[in-house]
Amino acid sequence: MTTFNLRVNGKPHTVDTDADTPLLYVLRNDLQMNGAKFGCGLGQCGACTVMLDDAAVMSCLVPVSVVGERAVRTVEGLGTADAPGVLQRAFIEEQAAQCGYCIAGMIMRATELLEQSAAPTDDQIREHMMPNLCRCGTHMRILRAVRRAADTMHAGPGSSTSSTSSAGAKA
Amino acid sequence: MDHDPGSPHHSRHHGAHRLRWVVMGALILLALAGCAIMWRPALEPQPASRSGAAAQAFDAATVERGRQLAALGSCAACHTVDPARPFAGGLALATPFGTVYSTNITPDARTGIGAWSEPAFARALREGVSRDGHLLYPAFPYDYYTHMKADDVHALYAYLMTRPALDAPAHANSLHFPFGFRPLVAFWNVLYLKKDDAWAPDARQSVEWNRGAYLADAVAHCGACHTPRTKLGGTDVKRYLDGGEAEGWYVPALNAHSPSPLPWTTEQLASYLRTGIATDHAAAGGPMQSVVENLRFADPHDVTALATWVHSYMEKAPHDAARARTADNLPAPVDTDADARMREGHAVYQNACARCHALGRSESSGAALPLQKAVALYDPDPRSLIHIVRDGIQPPNGEPARWMPAFGAILTDRQTAALAAYLRRYGAGRDPWDHIEDSVRKAKQP
Repeated sequence: MTTFNLRVNGKPHTVDTDADTPLLYVLRNDLQMNGAKFGCGLGQCGACTVMLDDAAVMSCLVPVSVVGERAVRTVEGLGTADAPGVLQRAFIEEQAAQCGYCIAGMIMRATELLEQSAAPTDDQIREHMMPNLCRCGTHMRILRAVRRAADTMHAGPGSSTSSTSSAGAKA
Repeated sequence: MDHDPGSPHHSRHHGAHRLRWVVMGALILLALAGCAIMWRPALEPQPASRSGAAAQAFDAATVERGRQLAALGSCAACHTVDPARPFAGGLALATPFGTVYSTNITPDARTGIGAWSEPAFARALREGVSRDGHLLYPAFPYDYYTHMKADDVHALYAYLMTRPALDAPAHANSLHFPFGFRPLVAFWNVLYLKKDDAWAPDARQSVEWNRGAYLADAVAHCGACHTPRTKLGGTDVKRYLDGGEAEGWYVPALNAHSPSPLPWTTEQLASYLRTGIATDHAAAGGPMQSVVENLRFADPHDVTALATWVHSYMEKAPHDAARARTADNLPAPVDTDADARMREGHAVYQNACARCHALGRSESSGAALPLQKAVALYDPDPRSLIHIVRDGIQPPNGEPARWMPAFGAILTDRQTAALAAYLRRYGAGRDPWDHIEDSVRKAKQP
C-alpha cells in the first residue's frame, strides 16, 4: 500500500492503495465517484473515459501511480442534476442515453474534442468519438448531442442559458 | 602556384580566365546533358474505346495473377486510402524532401490511368515516367519495379485495368525547394535507377529462394524500407537490408544485423508476413501493418517463398536467446544503478505494462509478449518502442489480430522516456539508447 495524492475535479484527495490499482477503481471504490464505469477493463470500450489534464484516457488502463500531479476530471465535475453542464444538457435534450452505461465516458470523450476544437465538423465528431462504444446503438443520438453541445458553445456564453441550443445558435 | 616566383601575374590572370571558360563550357555541356536525360516523350493516350475492362479482353487467370502481384507489391498500402475507393490514391507520404501524394491508378480516363497503353504503364513501372512524359517521384518505388518481368507487368496491367474506374484527381504535392521541379529526378535516376540490371536467378539457391528473391526485389520492394537510404533518398545498396526507417519507425535489419533476440524459423516468418503475428517474436505494428494487410491476399506459396528468402539473410544474425527465454519477470534496478530513470521506468513497467506482459499473463492478455522477447527493445534506437507505447497496436478494421492499447495520453513524456531507458537496460540488457527524450518529443509531432 502506498499513499497517493490526487486532484480530482479540482479537489485534493488522499488514497492508500496499491501502486498498480487502476485510476478507475480508485475513483469508484475509494472516492465514490461512480460516473466512470467498468466496461471491459482492457481499454477497448471507453465506458471508463475520464480526462487526465487535457487528454481523454481510459481510466481502467491508468495505474494510479502514473497520475502524479496531473488533474483528473470526471463527469461529476461537469455539473449536477439541477445544473447540468453544456454537454450533459445536450445529451439530455437529444435523449442520447438508452441504458446509459457508456454515457459518462462518451461525455468525457466529447469534452476533450470540444476543448480542442471550437467548431468541429460532423466528420471530426465521428472520428473523435470512435474509441467509445455503445451497445444499445444510440450512436446517432450521441453524435447529435455532441453536435448540439458544440453549436451551443460556439454560439457563445449568452446562448448557453437558453433551453434549446439550436434555437440559441440561430438567434 | 601562388608561391611559384617564376609565374608572372598576367599569366596567372590569363590562366584563371581560361579556367572560367572551361568551367562555363562544362556547365553548359552538363546542362545540355541534363536536358537530354530530363526530357521524356509523352506516349499517345489510348483511345477511349480501349480504356477500361470492357474494351480490353484479359483472361481471368491473368487478372487473378495481377491481383496477387498487386497484393505482394502492397500497391493498396499507398494507393488506397478509403477501402470503399480502392486504388483511387490520395495518401500523403512525408519524405525528407516534402510531402508526396499517391495518385489514382484506377482505369478512369481523366484522373486515373485509363488512357495509359500497356507500354506507357510498363514505362512508368520500369523507368518512373508518367504517360505524358513527366518524371514520377521515387516515393513510387520504380527503382524496384524496374526488375519486374514483362508477363508480370502485363498481369498487373490487366488487374488494374479491370478495377472500377473512379474519379479522383491527383492531390498537389508540397515539396521543399527545389524538389518541386520534377526534371531533377533525372539525376536521381542516373544514380539509383538500375534499369538495365535485369533480375537474374542465383544458380546456387533453390527455386523457391529465387522465387522469393525476385518477388522481394521486383515486387514487394522489401528493401525500400528495410535498407537505409542515402542523403539523396536512394536505397543504399552497400547496406542492403541493414535496417531503415518508415513513417518515423525504425525498420529492422533483416541481414546479419537483425536485432531479434531469438532466431526466426521460415515458418514463423511466413506466418508473420501473412497474419502479422509470429509466436514468440512479434506482432506487426506501424508501417508493416499495411504490408501484412496486403500480403494476406497474396498466394501463400509466394509468401512462403518470400519468407525463405528473408530467412537466408536473417539466419546470419547472432542471437541472445538465453536472455529472451529468461523465465523471470523484468527485475528491479540494482541499488548501484545511478540512472534515476531506471526506478521510475521500472515502476511504470510494473504498474502499467506487467498487467499484460508479465509471465503467466499470456492467456488473459491475448498473448502479450514477455518484454525480454520484444524485438523493439533490441533495436538500435528507441523510435519503434516509443511509437508502440504511444499509439499501441490497432488491428486493421474487421481483422482479428494482436491489439495493444495506446498509452500516449496515459504516460507523461518523462515516464515514457524512463520506461524506454529501463526496458533497454533491464529487458534487453543492451547499451543505453542516446537521446530517448528527443525521440519521445519527435514521436509526438504529426
